[in-house]
Amino acid sequence: MAWHDVASVDEFEVDAPKVVQVGEVPIAVFQLDNGFFAISDVCTHEYARLSEGFCEDGKVECPLHQACFDIRTGKALDEPAEVDVATYPTRVDRGIVQVDL
Amino acid sequence: MLVGNETDLPYDRPPLSKEILLGEEQPRGLMQRSHDAFAAQRIDLRLGTHIARLNATAAHVETQTGDLIPYDSLVIATGARARTLPLPIASDPRVLTLRSLADARALRGHLRLGLRLAVMGAGLIGLEVAAAAARQGCLVTVLELADRVMARCVPSRISARIESWHRAADVQLRLSCPVRDVRAERDCLRIATDTDDIEVDLLLVAIGAVPNTELAQETGVAVQDGILADECGRTSAPSIFAAGEVARILQPSGHYKRFETWQVAQYQPISVAHAICGVDKPYLDLPWHWTDQYKHNVQIIGDCGLGLEWLEREDAEGRLAALGVDPDGRLQAAILIDNGREVTPLRRLIMANRPIPRERLLDAALSFKQLHVA
Repeated sequence: MAWHDVASVDEFEVDAPKVVQVGEVPIAVFQLDNGFFAISDVCTHEYARLSEGFCEDGKVECPLHQACFDIRTGKALDEPAEVDVATYPTRVDRGIVQVDL
Repeated sequence: MLVGNETDLPYDRPPLSKEILLGEEQPRGLMQRSHDAFAAQRIDLRLGTHIARLNATAAHVETQTGDLIPYDSLVIATGARARTLPLPIASDPRVLTLRSLADARALRGHLRLGLRLAVMGAGLIGLEVAAAAARQGCLVTVLELADRVMARCVPSRISARIESWHRAADVQLRLSCPVRDVRAERDCLRIATDTDDIEVDLLLVAIGAVPNTELAQETGVAVQDGILADECGRTSAPSIFAAGEVARILQPSGHYKRFETWQVAQYQPISVAHAICGVDKPYLDLPWHWTDQYKHNVQIIGDCGLGLEWLEREDAEGRLAALGVDPDGRLQAAILIDNGREVTPLRRLIMANRPIPRERLLDAALSFKQLHVA
């Protein structure tokens, strides 16, 4: 496990995640009301990047087939996905959002 | 109890015309559950079982082997079958259709580098198969009666964009091209068109689907291109319900409509289950389907068959959208290419059912989310 830089806090916009690639793993980092949350950027249904999906109220929708995930918990909320996405810890270190993997 | 004539465990169909043909054995999108998963839900799963007869008076169905299965409630979810070629050649082993997982595996078994494949029908399934086969190195010709692809559900500029993907993959698109005859020769199939003959190794017939209504019809349940069902899936017969694409569902407009989409297979049966339990939960979802071809995703939202005027807009990244408006300027349907992020805002915009100034709809600088909020 190690902390990886994502972006500085002021680069984030509401409902627009930042994507960071850690090794083989693409991670989408979202700013919500109560902090930063990181999930795997790949839908568990078929291959699609969740960061390209519609995002609202702490949920993100897959852009291909509209599977919906809770950004805070990674939980799959709606068909066609049934498997949760992985979540990763985040922190802010001297103004830089970081993700732990 | 869940009775079906296929021997495969139940599955989702979208990967059949894509990942399965590309060689994936168990694509995630197949969503195939284990026997244990059914057992855990106390569902008695009877695969490979044909229902021969339905007796609504006695409230039982009879299997082909003579077993009687009594019911309190019966859901007919027999789906649809591929429409076949009305020619004797339809039974030739080189003439295939695609509907089931077994069909998809059979088709995949044929695909190889240099195979000459003709696809009859440039609808969603025909085009997805053409895309997958082209990727597998087949020499693909698509034969379509209409003058453009997907003519039934998208306007012409969207058709043109989809056609460009296929041409870029060296798929031969023969539009306005009726097939006059197909003959078997010793080492090929000969397809006669108005202009010439085409020789191929394999023909996929993708000319639509026919609902499997026979059981219902024989017992007197009202059928008209599908089993007529109300918003909750109730048929004309007590205790008999229709679910999925065999159902022709009552719409808010008062018309009945049958859908061949994943959305209806997924969500309409939830209304049926509620109705069986005595709870009215009408199925009123805005129609939605998609197609994935090559690296592209097309989203189709709303009822495109309403005689709409189509407006088109393309944003700075070249993402094309077609917006179908009615004479009052209300958005009724929309098609998005490679822009799934906008599906939900567009769905809301359509559901809001209010006129939207044309110049705002056409302003590609406004996202649909912004339009909805405004």
